[in-house]
Amino acid sequence: MRRYLVSRLLQAVGVVFFVTTLTFVVVHLAPGDPVGAALQGQNVTEAIREKWRADYGLDRPVSEQYVKWIQLAARGELGYSLSHRRQVRDVLADAMPRTLLLCSFALVISFAIGITVGVLQAERPRGPRDRWLGRILLLLYSVPEFWLGLLILLLFSYRLRWFPAGGMTDPVTYDYLSPREQFVDRFRHLVLPVLTLGLLSSAGIARYQRGALLAVLPMDWMRTALAKGLSWKTAVRRHALRNALLPTITLFGLSLPVFATGAIFVESVFSFPGMGLITVNAIAARDYPLVTSGVLVMSVIVVVGALLADIAVAVADPRVRLG
Amino acid sequence: MGALSSKARLTGTTVRRRLRGDARAWIGLGTLAVMILIALLAPWIAPYDPNAQLDIAHLHSQAPSLAHPFGTDTFSRDVLSRMMHGARVSLAISIGAVTMAMIFGTLVGVIAGYAGGIVDAVLMRIVDAAFSIPSLLLLIVVIALWGEIGTVFLTFLIAGIAWFTVSRLVRAETLALRDADFVVAARALGVPSWRVLARHVLPNVIAPAIVAGTLAIGNVILLEAGLSYLGIGVRPPAASWGSIIQEGAERVSDLWWLTVFPGIALLITVFACNALGDALRDALDPRQLHSAYDE
Amino acid sequence: MPKPVSRSHRRTLVSVAVVAAAFATVSCKGTDSGKVAPDGPPGVGGTMVIATAADATSLLPSIVNVITDRQVTDLLFDRLADLGDEMNAVGDKGFKPQLAERWEWAADSLSIAFHINPKAKWHDGVPVRASDVRYSLNLLKDPGLGSSAAPLVGNIDSVNVRDSLTAVAYFKRHTPEQFYDLVYQVAIVPEHILGNTPAAKLRDSEVTRRGIGSGRFRLSKWEPGARIELIADTANYRGRAKLDRVVFAISPDFNGAVTRFFAGDADMFENLRPEHLAKLLGDTARRAVPYPSLGYMFMAFNNLDPKDISRPHPIFGERAVRRALSMAVDRKAMLKNVFDTLGIPLYGPFPRSLNVSDTTLPQLPYDTVKAKALLDSAGWLVGPDGIRAKAGRRLAFSIATPSSSAARKQYAVLLQDAMHRVGADVKLDESDFASFVAKFASRSYDVAMDNYNTDPSVSGFKQSWSTSGIGKDGSNHAGYSNPVVDAMLDSAILTFDPARTKAYARRAFETIIEDAPAIWLYEPPTRAGIARRIRTTHMRADGWWSGLADWWIPANERSQRDQIGLRPAP
Repeated sequence: MRRYLVSRLLQAVGVVFFVTTLTFVVVHLAPGDPVGAALQGQNVTEAIREKWRADYGLDRPVSEQYVKWIQLAARGELGYSLSHRRQVRDVLADAMPRTLLLCSFALVISFAIGITVGVLQAERPRGPRDRWLGRILLLLYSVPEFWLGLLILLLFSYRLRWFPAGGMTDPVTYDYLSPREQFVDRFRHLVLPVLTLGLLSSAGIARYQRGALLAVLPMDWMRTALAKGLSWKTAVRRHALRNALLPTITLFGLSLPVFATGAIFVESVFSFPGMGLITVNAIAARDYPLVTSGVLVMSVIVVVGALLADIAVAVADPRVRLG
Repeated sequence: MGALSSKARLTGTTVRRRLRGDARAWIGLGTLAVMILIALLAPWIAPYDPNAQLDIAHLHSQAPSLAHPFGTDTFSRDVLSRMMHGARVSLAISIGAVTMAMIFGTLVGVIAGYAGGIVDAVLMRIVDAAFSIPSLLLLIVVIALWGEIGTVFLTFLIAGIAWFTVSRLVRAETLALRDADFVVAARALGVPSWRVLARHVLPNVIAPAIVAGTLAIGNVILLEAGLSYLGIGVRPPAASWGSIIQEGAERVSDLWWLTVFPGIALLITVFACNALGDALRDALDPRQLHSAYDE
Repeated sequence: MPKPVSRSHRRTLVSVAVVAAAFATVSCKGTDSGKVAPDGPPGVGGTMVIATAADATSLLPSIVNVITDRQVTDLLFDRLADLGDEMNAVGDKGFKPQLAERWEWAADSLSIAFHINPKAKWHDGVPVRASDVRYSLNLLKDPGLGSSAAPLVGNIDSVNVRDSLTAVAYFKRHTPEQFYDLVYQVAIVPEHILGNTPAAKLRDSEVTRRGIGSGRFRLSKWEPGARIELIADTANYRGRAKLDRVVFAISPDFNGAVTRFFAGDADMFENLRPEHLAKLLGDTARRAVPYPSLGYMFMAFNNLDPKDISRPHPIFGERAVRRALSMAVDRKAMLKNVFDTLGIPLYGPFPRSLNVSDTTLPQLPYDTVKAKALLDSAGWLVGPDGIRAKAGRRLAFSIATPSSSAARKQYAVLLQDAMHRVGADVKLDESDFASFVAKFASRSYDVAMDNYNTDPSVSGFKQSWSTSGIGKDGSNHAGYSNPVVDAMLDSAILTFDPARTKAYARRAFETIIEDAPAIWLYEPPTRAGIARRIRTTHMRADGWWSGLADWWIPANERSQRDQIGLRPAP
């Protein structure tokens, strides 16, 4: 087990290193640079751009810049973001909790919906309820997330004006609200993106939960439970669900990357300034350190998620350790 | 995994019988066939040239009407015609990428599973690593920074992040098959490895690979649409469903038809792929034979 | 979607540009230009929320980058004197005193003594001193800061401190715009706040984020990505601003900002698009207010070979090709497509609001038959694929467009189709702003959707369209060169007679239009959406916000939002 863990860990570090390096190189090879993007005033002379480049060390060879960035990253500094005019660390420190908030709410919602629907389906497998829910889930599973986001935005924000169109809080009044009003304000801003992300992910979870339940239904203890006089419904909800929940829970780890990347689209539709949106915008601004650091953080999340899921599976199923 | 050997016993007739009785299979296959047909025939059946600006001063941003069932865009181009041609792009990229991913993924999986040992270990470490890469983000970075990339290259890139799912699946199947009676027997008779692979292993792993592929097509269509929505997929004036949505997204509050119709086309097509994939998987799933509670 | 700042193309040469007040009369129904309206005298109070899509990047006036930087710093920092509403830049006519309550010219006109208003204080309570003026100029000129405005103050030699309230500026040459150069380009910044930080460090220093100036608004809070809140400086020497506060509410994108405005969560959005105007018809709470600007948009042909800029471009080096492609374009229809009824046609390399502009100059006609004939006679013949070619070279090129500009993107697709119709194979090369700028810097483009925000003077044209502007310090992106134009522009700048300036400029423009180094497309129709409750004052072409401190909201039209801040923030 320990050997497995160590090798998996090494692999994870290798993956993160590979992804970050690739990003760094690709970003630097791309046409344009942060100074060109930052000095958008068109009449800035090339001489001034060159001066700025030199000031930020952008005139140095890519390899040298990379070594410098690694040194910074090792100290947890990540460099300076020219598009935000702030330390990358600070920019990410603002964005990370937002994305985590969005994802964890969406995660909770999707698991709540997913498990419930999965149970409702598995209670009467192949029955009309199962079939109909199955079709709806399949439909939900097939919706492009950005498209659903756009429609939700159009309906609830542009047309009905029930919820704000984007952002985290109301920029004008937030500071002047009472704590309770502030909570409500935050909540109102979260509803639509969380709903979009949560709804879409619930389809996969429901499907998985239904499968897991169907797999345990033929077990002997189900027969025992029924023989004891429990109703079918109770037997499913009490006994089968308890046993079938475990595999679904391991999904948590695997869902992390799904949510992290799903957040990219949802964040851009709802202008939600989290990791995804900030990284995508940083690409356009050629903000080298921010793009690389954003990718670094995202890959750590994804890798850790995969690692956790693998370990969970390994713990649950000793055979995997050999493979 | 223990059930894998029984899958080998699943006969073609059973599968076909099950598929025939499954509405999802029919709906999925039918819808996909229609979409592919539309895509193939687009140049002949589309009412207008998809890139023709009909009358930029007077015919732009028209709501759906008899002449333009799906309206016109801000460039006075017919949205229906653009969607028909967009189907070509969307489907070509997805089917192309998935086919490539399936071929490569199957190859890697079969080799790893059959060869075992160090080859298996190395290949599977690579696959594991590929799984833990935030591939969407990396894809966005690479494409966005690369600037203008062609459709073909986009297809390759998408295939590049789709193959390893197939590999893992196929390897597991191969692993089980390697010890199956008929494979062991063939080897004992001195049949060369490549023949065993070609005659006995490949035909038996192809089915699950096809299921994975069918389900993947849906996902890849969504992926391409998503990239185009972010403005980094298919470049104008060429249209894919995703890029039509992207062009309309900014005007979603007044020119809703630019967003709604291509979105529905996407939804229908992906739904068809997933329905067909589900039906195929259920038909091939041997566990159904044992399921005591299934009707 | 940050908009480029109209940081002037400027020069050190003498110029006699009297800026027309073409837009001085700009107004529309409902714009109460500072007059006392029926609802009583302007009262004090209220909050105005401006929805914007661009966060500020810096609050140091010398290094503004995006439009929001410019707007916020203009409100926070005073100058020695401000341009008048007529935007006259010659001499000191029309200038309104700000930090300098009065000034005296030396007999030789090579120095001006500015008397600082003794009541002027920085927002932290420290009095403004003559030494701050000296510091501000030196900072702007400091190569360590890398300010893009540094070349614009080349004619100012130095500032001497005669006494704590008298700053004397010395000039190298007597020029018509020397006064303007100093008072307009040099915002006065506090030495006691910034002076301890070396100029090279100042650009990214925290001290600049405090925004301490001497303007009628002071910075209350800048929350990156969310809002910039300014409040009235109640003890200001020029009188407190009428509004209690101005909040720039930052949305991550254009649509978010528009939605905020139409939902009533903001009082102003400065960049309405044609499709929004229909929504404002019959809107009792909001109105559209056109305001002047100095921008103009064109499709530039690269006249130089991207592979070797000492040679002409293999396609666009040829005048006939440029002219033919210009004639292939129906500019009127495109204007209608993109801007509907709001479009302002462009007649040459000049916005209408400049007095040297001339909208009667002869234009190349829209005539595809002529265009095709011209290409035929120039040897560009239609090949089997419908695309023209000459000596084995296809008439194929790409249009570089920044993806941040919706109007330019729209135009690029329209142009692509129009030029395709006369046998050109046109690709779209859409890229983010960084790549777009890089293409200009390396001249590696064929044609580009370019935009200039011109300075109110003839010398700006010299940098954009004369041979001398092709170098590193110029902005002649097209690489256009014609000795006749060079001579005419030089003459226009050197003469002291406004009528002759205009005549020379006219000849230059006429030649440029005939040579077609670009297809002249439009002046960005700038229209702000403003809540009806906001009473505005005159909006100057170089910035609608110039009079913001005198905008006001009648007491009976204030809402709950206007109360914020009166309650202390928790």
